[in-house]
Amino acid sequence: MNELAQYAILFGLTVGVLGFVLSLHALARAIGRTRVEPGKDVPATSGTLSRDPVWVRYHARYGGYALLFLAFDMEMAFMYPWSVVYRAEGLVALLDMGVFLAVLFLGLLYGWSQGALRRQ
Amino acid sequence: MTILIVLLSLAAGAYFLAVIERWAVHGHLSLSGPAWAALALLGRESVLARKPDRLFFETGPVLLLVAGLMAAAVIPLAPGLIITDLATGALFLNAALAYVLVALIMAGWGPNGAYSMIAGWRFLGQFIAYAMLIVMPITAVAMRAESLSTTVIVTSQAQLWNALYQPIGFVLFVIAAIGLAWLPPLDLPDATGELAGGVEAEYTGVRLAVLRLGRLVVILALAGATVTFYLGGWLGPWLPPAAWSAIKTLIVAALMLSAGRYLPRIREERYLALSWKLGVSLALANIFLVGVIALVVPI
Repeated sequence: MNELAQYAILFGLTVGVLGFVLSLHALARAIGRTRVEPGKDVPATSGTLSRDPVWVRYHARYGGYALLFLAFDMEMAFMYPWSVVYRAEGLVALLDMGVFLAVLFLGLLYGWSQGALRRQ
Repeated sequence: MTILIVLLSLAAGAYFLAVIERWAVHGHLSLSGPAWAALALLGRESVLARKPDRLFFETGPVLLLVAGLMAAAVIPLAPGLIITDLATGALFLNAALAYVLVALIMAGWGPNGAYSMIAGWRFLGQFIAYAMLIVMPITAVAMRAESLSTTVIVTSQAQLWNALYQPIGFVLFVIAAIGLAWLPPLDLPDATGELAGGVEAEYTGVRLAVLRLGRLVVILALAGATVTFYLGGWLGPWLPPAAWSAIKTLIVAALMLSAGRYLPRIREERYLALSWKLGVSLALANIFLVGVIALVVPI
């Protein structure tokens, strides 16, 4: 099976899931429809509408982690091709990536010492 | 044909997981329980919250199901019994599981309710905690197998399972998988009894049924990934290969589900601190250790 056919299968599965969910909705609708009644559509906040609007800006208290996560996630993009040819390249590959990882790990330690790894 | 077999076994596995989850939450074992619960969900009204983001609200559960299915598509049950044996299977699994986060944020944002919104943001915090510990251990697995194809990864463990070859990576991966599937003790984003059900708070009827099914498929895909990467996949004596995959996957999934019965919940802030201070350091050490072992020992 070539790659194009494999991705075609995956796309077909996605469309199939959509069809499955739509038929479930149709089945539920055949069993009974939702009755529109006042007060039923209030979100789950103990029966009253929430005082403040919900779609506002929130304080992300994990900002330090998030920045470190970006750095490490980029690093992983390099790690995957490296890991496949690792055994073929041998010691050179270990040293190359070892230096890179050591620099990143020092970055993690520095961030830790500056208080990036705590709730802000 | 193989696709149909894999899909049917996925459905059977999801049903078994529903039975186990029922036992883990309510404490009694009932084989027909999930079927009645699903029928009841279909029969209930599916209420739409006022002023929702309709697109996000409808897409969330479907996207979760799609993400779980895409992840399961690259997991081999036996030689040849796999939906798509992609050359980049391990990477594709990561990409598919990343959409679990997107689906949950959509489902949290969509209904315009305070509790589900908070739950969605909590899961974003949890994502930053578990994401590196899913990705890094898989790198070490690929280093040993010299390939990202999941079938090659399984055959690379013929002499020694990766759970013994790289035990640090195994433990980190399983804990991160529990966080990814927001299972107890890491289930504060979903938070039964804390945020009125969290992301599930505004979902009722058929939409809730799809959301729960999607989550079961994600758990199953994660258990399958654990078996493929660390427990030798279909390898085993006496029994046919597919039976070994099924047994191992269901045992891992049952263990993941029952962990919450014995452990207290962990806040996402504490989980973040633990996984970045201890987890990432251990994962880097694991990559280095596997690197040295892979060069010295030729298995």
